[in-house]
This record gives sequence, C-alpha cells and structure tokens, in this order.
Amino acid sequence: MGAALSWTVPVFIQQTCTFMHAQALDSALQAGTGRDHPVLVVIQLAGGNDGLNTIIPFEDDLYFKARPTIGIPKNQVIPLDNGIGFHPSLEPMKALYESGNLAIIQGVGYPNPNRSHFRSTEIWQTASDANQILTKGWLGRYFDNCCRGEDPTVGVVLGEQLPEAFNANLPTGVAISRPGNLGFDRTSDPSEAHLFSELNGLEPDAMSGDSIGSLSGPNDSGLSALEYLQRTALDAQVSAERIKRMLRSSKNEVPYPRNQLGSSFGLIARLIAGGLPTRVYYASQGGYDTHAGQANTHKRLLSEFSAALVAFCNDLKRKGIFDRVIVLTFSEFGRRVTENANGGTDHGTAAPLFVCGGDVNPGLYGKQPALDKLDSGDPFYSIDFRSVYSTILDNWMKAPAGKILGREFPKLNFV
Amino acid sequence: MLLSPLALNRWDFDAAAHLLVRAGFGGRAEEIEKLHALGPAKAISSLVDSQPESFEPPACADPHSQDELRNQLREAVTPEQKQSVRKLLNEQFRYEMSDLTRWWVTRMVNTRAPFVEKMTLFWHGHFATSGQKVRHAYKLWRQNELLRQHGLGNFADLIKAISRDPAMMIWLDTVQSKRERPNENFAREVMELFTLGEGNYTESDVKEAARAFTGYRIDKDNQSFRFAPAQFDSGLKSFMEKTGSWNGDQIIDMIVDRPQCARFIAGKIWKFFAYETSDGKLVDALASELRNVQYDIRPFMKQVFSAQEFYGTEALNSQIKSPVQFFVQAFRTMPIALPESSVLVFAFRQMGQVPFYPPSVKGWDGGKSWINTATLAFRYKLARQLVEGIDPLEIGLPKPLAMDMSGIRPATTPALLVDEIITASDRQQPENVVEKLFVRIFQCSSKFELATSFREFLSNRSLPLGDATIRELAALMMTTPYYQVT
Repeated sequence: MGAALSWTVPVFIQQTCTFMHAQALDSALQAGTGRDHPVLVVIQLAGGNDGLNTIIPFEDDLYFKARPTIGIPKNQVIPLDNGIGFHPSLEPMKALYESGNLAIIQGVGYPNPNRSHFRSTEIWQTASDANQILTKGWLGRYFDNCCRGEDPTVGVVLGEQLPEAFNANLPTGVAISRPGNLGFDRTSDPSEAHLFSELNGLEPDAMSGDSIGSLSGPNDSGLSALEYLQRTALDAQVSAERIKRMLRSSKNEVPYPRNQLGSSFGLIARLIAGGLPTRVYYASQGGYDTHAGQANTHKRLLSEFSAALVAFCNDLKRKGIFDRVIVLTFSEFGRRVTENANGGTDHGTAAPLFVCGGDVNPGLYGKQPALDKLDSGDPFYSIDFRSVYSTILDNWMKAPAGKILGREFPKLNFV
Repeated sequence: MLLSPLALNRWDFDAAAHLLVRAGFGGRAEEIEKLHALGPAKAISSLVDSQPESFEPPACADPHSQDELRNQLREAVTPEQKQSVRKLLNEQFRYEMSDLTRWWVTRMVNTRAPFVEKMTLFWHGHFATSGQKVRHAYKLWRQNELLRQHGLGNFADLIKAISRDPAMMIWLDTVQSKRERPNENFAREVMELFTLGEGNYTESDVKEAARAFTGYRIDKDNQSFRFAPAQFDSGLKSFMEKTGSWNGDQIIDMIVDRPQCARFIAGKIWKFFAYETSDGKLVDALASELRNVQYDIRPFMKQVFSAQEFYGTEALNSQIKSPVQFFVQAFRTMPIALPESSVLVFAFRQMGQVPFYPPSVKGWDGGKSWINTATLAFRYKLARQLVEGIDPLEIGLPKPLAMDMSGIRPATTPALLVDEIITASDRQQPENVVEKLFVRIFQCSSKFELATSFREFLSNRSLPLGDATIRELAALMMTTPYYQVT
C-alpha cells in the first residue's frame, strides 16, 4: 500500500510548494502586469448568428428575393459603405463605426463547412480543419505557448464552464459565474478553516498579498493526481481572492444593460481596470439558433448585444484603457441565405464578425459573400476564421500565431 | 507474457476497498469487510458474476412518447404553431432526459450489482452517444439497456448490437447512409474510436466499410432496427486486403480479428478501471488475456481485477473520480438522499460530465481534465452541501427551472443522517468518529497519517460530539484533494 501511505500531509505540502517555487523561477514568458499588456475579449454568439441579417446587402435584389418575409426593408437598414448596412438593432454601434473603432470582417468561414452546432463550434474553438479533431483550444494553445507559469487568471470566463477554446495542457483559466460565488466557502470556525487550508496546501496569509505572481507550473505531466488537485485548489483560491480584490477597487463608469451579456461586459471592464493580469476574457450570448419566427428574436438579441458592447466601449474610454482592449465576436456559422417556411433560417456557413477596440484599423474587410454563387444554399467563405485568429495572435497578442495554429494563415490588417 | 495474480498475503482490507471502489462505486465498512473475508477470487466473482437486476423503467420507456407532438408538428400550419409545438417537444425531451439521468443514477446507487453499472458506464463513455443529436430519450434509454445487456458478453457481439442501435445509428448517421452515397461517419468511428485506434486502418478501409454499413434504418412503428435491403450495397468490397460482398457484421468480425483490436480495448479498459499506462508489455499481456478468452468480457474483467498491477502503487489513489463516481460513491457510502433530477443534472453539468451528453463521440477525456478551478470549487461546494443538505439556491441552480415542468423550485435535501453512522457511544470517543467517517469517505482504513489531522481537529471538542461537529468533520474530509481521488 505504498501510494496510500504517502498520504502524509506535511511532506506532501512541502513538496508541492518547492515544486511550485522552482516553476515560478523559470516561468513568465509573457508576464502581464495587469496594467499595460493587450487584452482580448472574445464574445461567442451561440447558436449561429444570421450574418446576412446582421450586415445587410440592402442593394442586392437577391437578398430580398431570398428573404421575402424576414428581409430587413431597405429603409430600415442603417447604411454603412459599399451597399451594406447594419440591422436596425445595431444602431448604437454606428457611432463606433464612425469613430473608427470597429472593423467588420465579412464572409468568414472555413473549407468544407460543418453545419452541426456542436461540431462547428468545436472547429472554431480549436481552430481545426473541418475533418480534424483537436483536443486543445486555440486560446489554450496560446496560454501553453506564451503564458506558462502565469497566474491562472490569464484567462477568465464569465460563465459556468470553461469553453473548449481554453483547453490547454495546463489547468489555465478561471470561470466566474457569480462574483459572490468565487473560490471556496469560508467557514467561521477558525480551526476548521485552518485544517481546510492545510489539507489543501493553501497558506491563508499569503493569499491576500500581491506576492504570489506565478503559480501554475509549465507542465502538468509530471504531477500526480493529488499534486495536480492541490495545485488547482491553490489556483482557485488565489484567483478568487485576486478577483474579489479587483472588483472592490473598480467601478463601472456607465450603466450597462441589465441582462447577462450586459453584466458580463460590466464585470470584464471592472476586472481590466482593476488590473487583473488577464489576457483573454470570454463571455457568450445564446439564442441565435433562429429556425422559426426569427424576426423578433434576432431583433432582441442584436439590441442586447449592441447596447452591451457600446456600454463596454464607453466605459473603457472613460477609464482611459480603450486602446488596450479588442473585442472579437464569433458564431459557429451563419445561416442559410433563403428563409425557411417558418419565418426563420436554417444552419448555414460563412458570416461576418466584428473586431472592436480603441486601437483597431476600422472599416470593412473581406468581400460580402456573393448571393448568386452559393454552395448548397450557403455563401462561400472568403476569409478563413484562422486568418482572423492569426492576425489577433500575431499583431495584437504578439504571439507566434503559426506555432499556435499549427500553420500560417494570411494575415489581415485590422490590428 | 500473461498477468500474474495478486499475492494472497497482500489481500487486505484496503485491497478489498480498492476493488470495490474501482469495480463498483465503493461501499460501507461492513461491505468492504465482507468482501475482504471472501478472499480475492470469491470477492472478484461476487462482483463480476453478478447479473443485472430488473429495475422499474424510466418515464421515457415508451417508443411512442413523442408521437403525439410529432403529429401536431406535422399538422401545424403557421410558423407560430410550429414553434410552440417545437417548444413542447423540447420541454418533453428535456424532462425525459433529466428523468433518465436520475433513473440511471438511482440504479447505480441502489443496485446490488454495482459492477454491472460500472461496466455500463465504461461502455457509455466508449460508445459515447449524446442526446444533443439523438433528441429522443427512449432511444438513449434503449442504448443504455443494450450496454448493460451485452456489456459483459462477447465484444464482437456488442459491437454488432451497437451498430444496429437506433441511438447510435442517428448519432453516427448510418440512418442517412444510402447505397449511392454511403455515409462514412460510423465506418470511421467504429475503427478509430471503438476498436482499433487511429492509424490502424486506411481511408480506403473507411470507404469500403461505409458501403457495408448501408441499409440500416429505424422502424418508425417501434423505433427499432430495420434492415432495408434496397439501400444495402451488396457489391464487392475490398476491406483490409480481403475482397467479398461484405456486410456490416462481417466487417466487424474482420476488425475484431486484428490483434490491434485486443490491444486497443484491453488498454482502454485498463485505463478506466486501473490506470493509464504506456507500458507496452502490460498492454500486450492484457491483450493476450482478452484473446485467450475469445473477447469474452466477463472472464477478462476477472483477470483485470486479479492482476497484481491492479493493486500496485500506480493504481492506488491514482485516479481522479469522474463526476458520476463522485456522486454515486457519496450516495452509496453515506446516508444522504438523492436530490431531484434538475439538481442532479445541474450538478453534473457544473462538474463537467452529464450522463447521456458526452462532449463528443470520443467520450470524456477523464483524468486531470475533470479538474479546473471552476469544477474543483464546485465539487467543494457540492461536497459540503451533500453533508449539510443540498440547497438548490446555494449551489447556483438557475431560475426559472426549464427542467422542472411544474415550475416549482426543488426542495432542499435533508442533511447527512449522523445517527445512522455514529452511535451514542461513538460520540464520546472522537477517534471512533474519525475512524468511521474516514473509512466511509476515503474508502480505506484509517491507519494513514492523514487521519491524524482529523483526530487533532476533534481533540478539544466537548463530548458527546454533536451532529454539527460531525458533519463539519465529514465536510472537511470531502473538501480535500484526497477525496477527489480513488
């Protein structure tokens, strides 16, 4: 019973702490101070956002022919350039476009598109080819490559679960569902709290200080299950303390819409301003799977989205940190060009996405997909989504995109 | 080389506990003691030779449960009508799925044949099929029963049964496969994930096998397998260097004939029940055992549980509990009540494993991937709640409850019934309390040094120890890294 006998608490804790200290020394490839490094905010529009009714080719007759009931009438579209315009619900974002803080990348997709929510989401999350299964996410691979030894809060998810994009060799990333619910429940009984800390290898005094910078070691492969658990417990505790502290020290400067996406954006703004050394924030808005009765649902979703995004940008501007942040939206696919019999649209392929921030090169990128040349009812893509990732990784995060994505993709110049 | 059995003098209480927790979901001290007293051979046989019990079926056990709403959907005219019927279908599906989940968990918790359920859980992860796409609880229930029924028999028969399983046929698109346009999904996965592993077949094998798995359809009248000869490609196929007018079963026989298949399956079983190994000799030995018993799973599992490696240092306390193991083990080892299905499904989702919803056809990665800061914090919260009573609000169950058709928030479950495990005289003796809780919670004897910390914790409490203190101790034991492993 050798392994079981090694359940000797003090020795175990000692070993783990030594191990972590050693890792901390040779870590920090891209150590963020929380005050100056670039931040990426990824917003997932889950369910397949109808790109064609988001960025609308309002001068194309084929659009109105394909969408006799759910097409947005010309006089309601908010015109941008080149015969395309916003869905009326995106009205608040017009100012962002005009002030040069919004890039619209059109026709984003990938070869041999998959029309399953699940599989296509997985493809976007792992940046794989359509016929390739990858287990690590594109952001997880960024963490593994560039943030080894960083604080686990290098990636923060507003939600209950880490997205597949965060899958990494390291236990990186912290999920916040409710700020009140962070970390471990504390007990009022001091002896119980003490034993809890001891059994979990937590040192209560060290928790509140700024001294702990680097906790996660570069590779978990050498850790036993117990060591791995103990390290994760420490990560959870430290990040919870840190996040609570950041939230105490920073407030929103503008009101946010009172819905889930609004409060996610609000929290992200406070965490960035508070100086959390996070490089990637992730939040999502669901409900875009509009197979039936699309008009009202889509209108509501886009209103929620644009109001929350604009509040976020205004908040960051007031805080003077808008230049440090870009927001990337994505959805697993766009929707079919021709509306269906239920006043909705079915799963499609290529669609536009947004990149927004104080320091983006604004404007339209890529081609609006041609509606007269379709691939079984769907537009052909003109920009591989991995070109977008590659641009962000290289130009914004200063990370080796080719290494992270497995090969080079042509870059755009929106950042 | 074959496996060598555990030396008799190493069969002790902790070895018996390890067997019970891995072959099943753990047990109370009396159960472990009973198993220990049997000696290894009889102990293993008492687990492995047990037969599935009959069990009251779940709410979805009616192939026609969706018929009425499906008819309504067909008859609906306006988009609004269709949408409202779809919404009802969805609600019914979600209700049936959460009921099915609770049904299986109840079965795992209450059965006298825990090994049968553990093996079913293994096969569920192996032939990972998700409600996400199947959208019919009845079919997923049938698949679950199929795994229970065939999971301890011959492996080739199991694969053949799975190839005809309606849930699998939808999941991997065999129902869509046409003679002129065979769908390759099942043909690929049956080799890549179910039998051989990647790199042990060619793209041409996939294409040829896909032709053999044509003609598989679901009979709408009873939701069971139907062979449609008109859709079957009866032409010559060249599969793994053999040419013939093969059908699906013949393809499976040829696959299972490959030595690699035995290696793949034996290695995967070993990983699930013992530990993940890169020791090629061990995998070879396991594969020989599997071939020696002609792929008969039951005798093979006896070999697995008899092997000395199964009780070695690499195996003991090396495995991070899956969320299902975490939950079921808690209910099997302690007097606590199972929460309602919506709470159960919510908790599984927070921990990263919802039965009947594997993340992909690869199943759950398991091991360290169960644990991240969010899932660990949730496990700790849940552990404390299991002891003190699960308050849905406290664990964060969102409202309104889509799962619960009545719209009523599920009740808080009762706290751990201390009197059922700790006697009045134990309350006067803190070391007895530690001993009893320790064995239940950690599934090993309290001779380990870890127990010392808990004895110290109780050392200056006033006697007799009250329920609150005892629950506190139980919660402390369960909110540790040690509780997350078996």
